[in-house]
Amino acid sequence: MTPGALDARRDVLALVLDTLVPASGDFPGAGAVALDHVLGVAAASAELESLLSRGLEAIDEAARIGGVGGFARLGPEDRENALRRVEQSHAELFEVLVRHTYNGYYGHPTVVARLGLDPSPLHPRGHRTETADGPDLARVTARGPIYRRT
Amino acid sequence: MATDDRIDVLVIGAGAAGAAVAWRLAGAGIGVVCLEQGDWVDPRAYPHWRTDWELHRNTDWSAEPNVRRLPQDYPVNDTASSISPLMYNAVGGSTIHWSAHFPRFRPSDFRVRSLDGVADDWPIDYATLEPFFDLNDRMMGVAGITGDPAYPAKSPRQTPPIPLDTLGGTIARGFDRLGWHWWPSDSAILTREYDGRRACNNCGPCDLGCPIGAKASTDVTYWPKALAAGARLVTRARVREITLGPDGLADGAVYHDRDGRVREQKARAIVLAANGIGTPRLLLNSRSARFPDGLANRSGLVGRNLMFHPYAMVRGAFDRPLGGHRGPIGCSIISQEFYETDLSRGFVRGYSFQVARGLSPIASAMGGSVGDRVPWGRAHRRAYDERFDRTITVAIIGEDLPEPGNRVDLDPTLVDGHGIPAPRVSYTLSENSRRMLDHGIARAREALEAAGARAVAFNPLLRAGGWHLMGTARMGRDPATSAIDAEGRCHDVPNLYIVDGSTIVTCAGVNPTSTIQAVALYIADGMIRRRS
Repeated sequence: MTPGALDARRDVLALVLDTLVPASGDFPGAGAVALDHVLGVAAASAELESLLSRGLEAIDEAARIGGVGGFARLGPEDRENALRRVEQSHAELFEVLVRHTYNGYYGHPTVVARLGLDPSPLHPRGHRTETADGPDLARVTARGPIYRRT
Repeated sequence: MATDDRIDVLVIGAGAAGAAVAWRLAGAGIGVVCLEQGDWVDPRAYPHWRTDWELHRNTDWSAEPNVRRLPQDYPVNDTASSISPLMYNAVGGSTIHWSAHFPRFRPSDFRVRSLDGVADDWPIDYATLEPFFDLNDRMMGVAGITGDPAYPAKSPRQTPPIPLDTLGGTIARGFDRLGWHWWPSDSAILTREYDGRRACNNCGPCDLGCPIGAKASTDVTYWPKALAAGARLVTRARVREITLGPDGLADGAVYHDRDGRVREQKARAIVLAANGIGTPRLLLNSRSARFPDGLANRSGLVGRNLMFHPYAMVRGAFDRPLGGHRGPIGCSIISQEFYETDLSRGFVRGYSFQVARGLSPIASAMGGSVGDRVPWGRAHRRAYDERFDRTITVAIIGEDLPEPGNRVDLDPTLVDGHGIPAPRVSYTLSENSRRMLDHGIARAREALEAAGARAVAFNPLLRAGGWHLMGTARMGRDPATSAIDAEGRCHDVPNLYIVDGSTIVTCAGVNPTSTIQAVALYIADGMIRRRS
């Protein structure tokens, strides 16, 4: 597998990611926001790039079973079916793909904001907790000591 | 080989225990040098300052050295272990990464043999350690409330407790409905300014470090005071071997400095504080004609009786947001309802429940500590939204009993970046621990359902849960059944001390750092007393 082989197939990879995490309501699909992350981690590791490239080949092969030729030519439901077949036949490889997709997707500021969180760095802002009175521990203390005396 | 001037005491390791000992000894006017294989962590380097902070949890800020693979780390062969050891190599050691849950061992934890007929009693007891618990609390700074009926009375906590917030209040109601014990965790995290340190801003991921020093890692608690008292700290100094003098006493350590040069530091006494894996590794790598099986290992116990706290994780899903991203990740509530032995439960000893915060976005997708990732495909969005910020995870932290077959030894081929043989960990969960965790899983389910959970999932044993490394050079009176005496001295080499988690005889059912540090301060006090 030559370096950059995965990047050369980025359009297909984006479709795969969109099938893993489809756009829904206000949430974008993973092809739009996780693709750069997946390509980035692949570019940083020849081993991972080779693994994911083999994954794309397996996906194409699974897609051809339907006779239409290639993942990109399938409709959404058939794409998901093709990926289910690859998940069965190449479980370990597929798990790596899903993990990096989720990492890229749920690490992306756009998605974090859609979840209702502030996507800016945690520091220096931190979080404000709900103010509440101190906990009511009367019931717990009413039992008296529960440790064994030695 | 360059040889440094002989000093009074050489401390190896700058983490929880090494920092406490260095501070105590330096404050008594004893000349101290500490060799630490890691470096200072720049507070600006923590991931919290970046938008992609969560990605770093599984890469360069992982708690697993085998994942992190930084130059200051050493590999650990854990293929024969059902639990992966976790640690961090830096000034502050694993307190850089810890979640600062800070319970003490209980009085019965030091008398396991006498009370329950298993394992061994410690040669010291809770009352002996109590002043050192208190001293350590003042040095670290503890948030909490006194009055917990699960413990003898404690001295006032330094700051009010960590807020329970919505998540903590929810599970507390579950415990209340069942009539079970619970208490706001003692946490080594400041909720108010204290001792020149800032208060926590509830950002969340303490496990990635604390950029403002509110969490008590020893680089911000003990070390500034130790250095001010005259201790000298040498970083990026990896010890290869402890050397023996002709009198059979330890006389120094050979180490690689930050430039890779081999040096020797001579010392009148040596204190090992390299954690429950690093310490036996170093002893086993220090062989000589006098100690062909490793230094101070005539008992054959160095590296044996490794205890982790085995964790099972039980997660409940709720119908409303719980604000779980707010507040220190590891701390809200502890329950010790099932802590003491009750043989009708089918096992000896007991466990605690530790209720942590909710899961961050990526962790939610991957299933967190339960490990059941959210399904992909068209069902993904709904499944994810039902989980994110709507779960509470109850950790069951069980008391592991010492088993000689659970051990650290040297891997025959694996080495670190300096060519030093790496440790190999062999660990199998015992039947007693399995029954204990299974009991805890069932009870945690009850608590979550009582709190209103509509669905419960669990992980019967957390693999990436080896936070606590204990028992591999244990304390005792008999040289045949222990590696160090009641004063922390190796039976075989009386000027060689061990103060880290290796010393632990039995590991209790709570996080050990508070107790490890109290034991370390107690041992340091003995060194000072004997010197004067």
